[in-house]
Amino acid sequence: MTDTTSTALLEIDGLHKRFGDLEVLKGVDLNVAEGEVISIIGSSGSGKTTLLRCVNLLEEFQEGEIRLEGEAIGYREVNGVRKRLPDKDLSRQRSMTGMVFQSFNLFPHLTAAENIMLGLRKVRKLGKDEARAKAETWLGRVGLAERVDHHPGQLSGGQKQRVAIARALAMDPKLVLLDEITSALDPELVQEVLQTVKELAAEGATLMLVTHEMAFARDVSTRIVFMEQGLVAEQGPPEQIFGAPKHPRLAEFLGRSRT
Amino acid sequence: MSEFLHQLTLSQGALLSGVQVTIYISFLSIIIGTAIGLVIGLVLTYAPFLARLPFRIYVDAIRGTPVLVLILAAYYVPAVLGVSLDALSSGILALTGFCAAHMGEIFRGAFQSVEKGQTEAARAIGLTFPQTVRYVLLPQVIRSVLPTWVNTGAELVKGSTLLSAIGVGELVLRTQEIIGRNFMTMEFYLVAGLIFLLINLAIESFGKYLERRLTYA
Ligand SMILES: Nc1ncnc2c1ncn2[C@@H]1O[C@H](COP(=O)(O)OP(=O)(O)O)[C@@H](O)[C@H]1O
Ligand SMILES: [Mg+2]
Repeated sequence: MTDTTSTALLEIDGLHKRFGDLEVLKGVDLNVAEGEVISIIGSSGSGKTTLLRCVNLLEEFQEGEIRLEGEAIGYREVNGVRKRLPDKDLSRQRSMTGMVFQSFNLFPHLTAAENIMLGLRKVRKLGKDEARAKAETWLGRVGLAERVDHHPGQLSGGQKQRVAIARALAMDPKLVLLDEITSALDPELVQEVLQTVKELAAEGATLMLVTHEMAFARDVSTRIVFMEQGLVAEQGPPEQIFGAPKHPRLAEFLGRSRT
Repeated sequence: MSEFLHQLTLSQGALLSGVQVTIYISFLSIIIGTAIGLVIGLVLTYAPFLARLPFRIYVDAIRGTPVLVLILAAYYVPAVLGVSLDALSSGILALTGFCAAHMGEIFRGAFQSVEKGQTEAARAIGLTFPQTVRYVLLPQVIRSVLPTWVNTGAELVKGSTLLSAIGVGELVLRTQEIIGRNFMTMEFYLVAGLIFLLINLAIESFGKYLERRLTYA
């Protein structure tokens, strides 16, 4: 399996996540190398979103370790006691990964360019002109050069999601997490967003995405990860996962997705 | 009529100083009260339960108490405790506390009504919590709070009239003193009413102005 690569950018070891009594992740192991495009598939409730949110430290987790470029994320051991890092460190670590949400989550009071500039200015500490130039470059790359000064309220769903993608990528993250980013879109707007992701993948960005678009996943991914009940049940290259699934639940899931 | 105009001229100094005191008290209370209210709103929304508790009790206690009682308490209680506060300071203390409690509850509602995704997107970018408040939450919260804030301002101006009860020389007390001299009860209460109307109209149009400036598409 491709999981044992020595140049792993992201390493997830024995990740356990509980919401109260409900164990949602039950020991997830997963490595992601630089330049990989990983699609996470699996039925609703299997823990895909929670996994991405743990990686971006939007959720706390109770056991296991996540390392990004070898640095432990979110926690450190002090005298054998596991401690959540202070807000400042969490912020720095979060800025190393980008996240694109199903519901866009653009800042409504800021224009498209300002949405992108905020992180560049306050986190990356760029000057105003430099941040603006970078925002414009990225909006151009996602095909929105004409929408630089529009507020989110003046954009279509597909355009909003492309701004959100540009906002995440302009920060030069090591890794970008995308959670069902086309699920809230009207069908006719899905393709423009998927196309944008394809272009990023082709340019070598490291992506970890949760998707229900099987044809897209097959097309864009270097590896497919199938999650089932809080565990990675099977993973492998797209041809193998879609062509010769081994896990009975995966075969069943793919059968259902095809309809 | 000419007698009324004559009396008006005689009392314009007193009226003016009453207006000044009313505006001074209201202004100070709403500025300080809003700043404290913002902190209370943040604590009520984002702090853990135990840290929230004393603020919750404060807000509910103050909001359940008539303003006049707050004023009397701010005037008499410090004296009992051996702290001497003049009537003006007591009045500002009471109205500031009143404003802080109301604004705290208003800010809490506004922070809670901002979609959770906003905070998450801000954190995902790497903004710290204070940066998230400053650049993402506050700009949205201010817009939704504005109409209620203007209302609270008007409430404070009305509330400030109760300070006449502890001898603060605001507009109502001055008006009563003037009437005590010339016995033109109707006329001078009308004058005072008119002035209050003007003050509240000014507050209202200031709010409208801010609202216009702060709208986005
Ligand atoms: N904040 C939460 N509190 C409690 N349970 C949650 C929370 N978020 C998710 N869950 C539960 O965790 C499980 C996995 O959810 P999720 O990661 O969203 O799955 P997926 O994205 O694969 O559909 C589900 O059973 C869901 O109900
Ligand atoms: Mg999900």
